[in-house]
Amino acid sequence: MFSLRLALQSIFKDKWMNFLSMLSIGVMLFILVSVAIIVYNVERLTARLPERLTVMVMLKEGVAGEEIKAAQAVIKAEPAVKAVTFVSKERAMEDLKRSFKKDDFILKGFGENPLFDSFDVKIKSEGVHIDEVKRLIQKIKSMKGVDDVEYGEALMDSLYALKSGMRALGLSIGIVFVCSVTFICYTTVKILFYRHKDEIEVYKLLGATRWFVRAPFFIEGSIIGILGGMIGSGMLMGLYQYFIRRLIADIPMFAFMSIPLQFMYMLPVAGMLLGLGGSVLALGRLKY
Amino acid sequence: MIELENVSKAFGGYAALSNISLKVERGDMAFVTGPSGAGKTTLFKLLYLAEKPDEGTITIAGCNVADVKSSYIPLLRRNIGVVFQDFKLLNNKTVYDNIALTLRIRGFMEREIKERVHSVLKMVNLRHKVDNYPLTLSGGEQQRITIARSIVGEPTVMLADEPTGNLDEENEKEIMRIFKQINAKGTTILIATHNRALFRNTARKVFTLEGGMLRGEEE
Ligand SMILES: Nc1ncnc2c1ncn2[C@@H]1O[C@H](COP(=O)(O)OP(=O)(O)O)[C@@H](O)[C@H]1O
Ligand SMILES: [Mg+2]
Repeated sequence: MFSLRLALQSIFKDKWMNFLSMLSIGVMLFILVSVAIIVYNVERLTARLPERLTVMVMLKEGVAGEEIKAAQAVIKAEPAVKAVTFVSKERAMEDLKRSFKKDDFILKGFGENPLFDSFDVKIKSEGVHIDEVKRLIQKIKSMKGVDDVEYGEALMDSLYALKSGMRALGLSIGIVFVCSVTFICYTTVKILFYRHKDEIEVYKLLGATRWFVRAPFFIEGSIIGILGGMIGSGMLMGLYQYFIRRLIADIPMFAFMSIPLQFMYMLPVAGMLLGLGGSVLALGRLKY
Repeated sequence: MIELENVSKAFGGYAALSNISLKVERGDMAFVTGPSGAGKTTLFKLLYLAEKPDEGTITIAGCNVADVKSSYIPLLRRNIGVVFQDFKLLNNKTVYDNIALTLRIRGFMEREIKERVHSVLKMVNLRHKVDNYPLTLSGGEQQRITIARSIVGEPTVMLADEPTGNLDEENEKEIMRIFKQINAKGTTILIATHNRALFRNTARKVFTLEGGMLRGEEE
């Protein structure tokens, strides 16, 4: 209790320095969480991608009916696959003709049907990872009787690259900012500690334990972290209210954006942990 | 209660204490005297573990100082009440909070702290200054506050470094009366002073330091 009072007194005494620290922590946590939100949204977006994907499996010429049936069953048994439809080259031709309608004379130029038998593979919409789809495609490619597999490769690959890029970026920004926030708390607490050095000397001479001397600074670091986190939450709230909502209203393309509200509660907690971590680092090796 | 054996301490080649051996029994009131710069404060610093001896062994309150683990130092210091020569009062805290700090460090309840602080302030006749800040007090008053702080924790050993250095004769007598009173309750007291008049008719044991060496020991 006494430690808490000391901590609060100390925070108020150096309120400008502490406020600046809180502000920088707030801004950093805000940037951190913004990056997290972007990564989160990219993840969400790409997680639903396979559902839009139709994989066309082209079969080799002259594969027997049983073999086709067997292959279909194998593909169907894959956990990621929702449905497999066999499309014979005759069906494919009819479809093609239908789409050309009256202009089907174009097709008359071909003597024999130039198309091929194929499967239309539909991927399950929920819980299928892009990696899994890639693996599946590799597997189908290596199956007997399969000529080639056609899918939105370019699109998928670029999204895949975007996703892993975002992840790497998010992770590195995350690490940098976590370190920075810890460092700010570390420095602030260290400065506060040095300002009270004479006082602490007296405390020690009067018989204060290491814990008693350090507790107010741990509390102080945590409080600075919490308040910094709250500033970050406030900014996030502001961003959401005044920017993203309008963006979504004006440009429907951004309707998929979502900000998980848990972030708002998480920021002060994260701030507190980092603040505490910073102060422990600052005073951890305080000797007697 | 306090024992030094062949203790030496040097600061960068300058011997502040050389080969000191002395013993103060439990319940004694002893004096260390000698001119300024003789090493009295250094001796005290060794006793409350603010400095380490270069040589020799020191025993205080039943502990061999060299063997004390750093986590135990605070507990040992709680058994030693020190009147610092330079007071070491916290100028941003009131008289009350300065004295109460000793007890807060020990985890006392606020109610008991209040009781004890008022009782020691009464002993040093400064009850009316309870809400003052140290810098608004005279040197003699600050000194008495320091004495009050050193006794409020009821230590088993008291080390008083020039406790009457800033006091007039009237207050000096009063302080000596307080020390005797505390000593009568069983507290061992070691007082450093350059003022021989202080112990002329009270001393049981006087150690005389000069240039870091023990010159004499009188019973
Ligand atoms: N921390 C220190 N560094 C260097 N010299 C010191 C230090 N402390 C004390 N001394 C020297 O040791 C000698 C004894 O000092 P001190 O113990 O304060 O004497 P006294 O208290 O008897 O006046 C002095 O000459 C002083 O200058
Ligand atoms: Mg001295």
